Amino acid sequence: MSKNIVVKADQKRVVPVIWTGNESEIEYDIKLAGRGAEVTLLMLLFGDGNKNLATNINVLHDAPDTKSRVVVKGALNDASHVDFEGLVKIEPGAKHANAWLAAHLLLLSEQAGGRAVPKLEITENDVKAGHASTVGKVNDMELFYLMSRGLSKEASTGLIVQGFLESLLSEFPIKDAVSARKKLKWL
Amino acid sequence: MQTLTQETAKKAKDYKFGFHKKDKSVFKTPKGLSRSVVEAISHYKNEPEWMRDFRLSALMTFEQKQMPTWGADLSTISFDELYYYINPSDKKFHKWDEVPKEIKETYDKIGIPEAEKKFLAGVGAQYDSEMIYHNLKNQWEKQGVIFLGMDDGLKKHPDLVRQYFGTVIPSADNKFAALNSAVWSGGSFIYVPKGVNVTIPLQAYFRINAANMGQFERTLIIADEGSSVHYVEGCTAPIYSTDSLHAAVVEIVVKKGARVRYTTIQNWSNNVYNLVTKRMLVDEDGIGEWIDGNLGSKITMKYPSCILNGKGAKGEVLSLAFAGKGQHLDSGGKMIHLAPYTTGTITSKSVSMGTGRSSYRGMVKIVNGARGSKSFVRCDALILDELSRSDTYPVNIINEHDVTMGHEASVSKVGEDQLFYLMSRGLDETQATSLIVNGFIEPIVKELPLEYAVELNRLINLSMEGSVG
Repeated sequence: MSKNIVVKADQKRVVPVIWTGNESEIEYDIKLAGRGAEVTLLMLLFGDGNKNLATNINVLHDAPDTKSRVVVKGALNDASHVDFEGLVKIEPGAKHANAWLAAHLLLLSEQAGGRAVPKLEITENDVKAGHASTVGKVNDMELFYLMSRGLSKEASTGLIVQGFLESLLSEFPIKDAVSARKKLKWL
Repeated sequence: MQTLTQETAKKAKDYKFGFHKKDKSVFKTPKGLSRSVVEAISHYKNEPEWMRDFRLSALMTFEQKQMPTWGADLSTISFDELYYYINPSDKKFHKWDEVPKEIKETYDKIGIPEAEKKFLAGVGAQYDSEMIYHNLKNQWEKQGVIFLGMDDGLKKHPDLVRQYFGTVIPSADNKFAALNSAVWSGGSFIYVPKGVNVTIPLQAYFRINAANMGQFERTLIIADEGSSVHYVEGCTAPIYSTDSLHAAVVEIVVKKGARVRYTTIQNWSNNVYNLVTKRMLVDEDGIGEWIDGNLGSKITMKYPSCILNGKGAKGEVLSLAFAGKGQHLDSGGKMIHLAPYTTGTITSKSVSMGTGRSSYRGMVKIVNGARGSKSFVRCDALILDELSRSDTYPVNIINEHDVTMGHEASVSKVGEDQLFYLMSRGLDETQATSLIVNGFIEPIVKELPLEYAVELNRLINLSMEGSVG
């Protein structure tokens, strides 16, 4: 799947994306074309079996006062694998651009794996840009706490994963959040 | 050579260390690279057969390998226009007094830190392609520490060299590692025996001093079990009328429980291509540290790596890039976790100004089975003006679930409120900016030996002068 989005002056777009293993490629090209254009791309990934995803997100800041926020959160079970490549480019003249690019992967099984490459190319000095990525497993202390309250390991892990992804879902537009929860069978 | 000196004299004025000594080289291979050039180098150095074969097979690898298609623009390097070997003097010196006056003058002009004069420790000064000066403190010799030029090391300890040479960085690693393997000369060879702690940093100064001269030093450091050593490499180079290539290879073996720190201050003149491969192989509970400061050169591509090969091994890379006018510094670090409970940290600080471009390029790889490993990357960039550029290319590949990997980066300009505050206290804009830049790179500078930290601050203040406003 590949999508091209152009955000015009003073437009604000929220782009929710959810992946549960149906696609093998997701690509977004987003251009912030006019002054004050803003985009928030929220990508929720849930992989199991041996589902693989290659995802590519490009954001181009081509005008002043533009803002972008890309947050990817994924929980990977079994032998699923995610390859995330993101590029935020800030062109000369895109003054006061503000960019944030983050990818967080939670690995739930020994065979799960991920590759995260959040890239920045910046040719304007009057900007704010950052990126972050984390990869790790479920926190042992959190797991221990829940299990000490009588939950099974599976139920505890489920709750932690749900909490991890929920923070992203809460930013989804209501309709998308509802259908996403259905997809994840959290209803 | 005299006309060349005159030619370069004008350019040299723009560059702090741009003076040029009369070329008194003894043995010089013809321009360009061929089988016979490689054989001539090996023959001249009187090397064992295995080393000649190693060079020749590396030459074939070099010819087959493609130029890297990523990173900085290397299309203007002309391999046929370079000299691959020049030897300035047939004699090796062991005492400072015996070093020729002309060469001493060269060092005086760079202002070699007092530390060297005080300790006269294991200083290997490279003039052109050869280690010409060596002095090792007696106590270390008694402890069995070996600190020699690479060529001497090969002569005196052939078995030790053969055992490790090319094992951390094989000649087929990349095109420039292959080139270095084929035509290497100079560099340092260090062996620290089991349990020996070398308390005073070993230092070497590198200097290119013949037009069109490529420098291909080869350094091999072996820290045996439980030992520790700190090696410092600093370089400043005179300016030349044509492009120079510096393609070094540094291999470090850190054995069980050993600790090695390798500090570099790179300040090549602004026409040098600095394409260096540096790698450490860290065994169980060993600690490997790279401190890598890049100020000079036209193009730098350098990514010091730690391969954490044993349980509990630790790696650290501190990288600093200061890209000024016309420079592209593509640097960073790599952390490869191959064993359980390994820890890696990469900290990178880069500053771009006056059309300079600095790129952080790094990699964290954790293989399946390296459980309990932790890796953290922090890279910050500062862009000082509208003409400059900053890039970040971090690659994180994680194939083990029981790990903690974090990466964080930020890009910004000098904060207006910080600037305003300092200027309200009476500093002018240049001073205030210099102060902020020096504060920004502080986490790396504080790890340097004092003389280097002072020199670095001075160099940065110098390059900031007149740049703001």
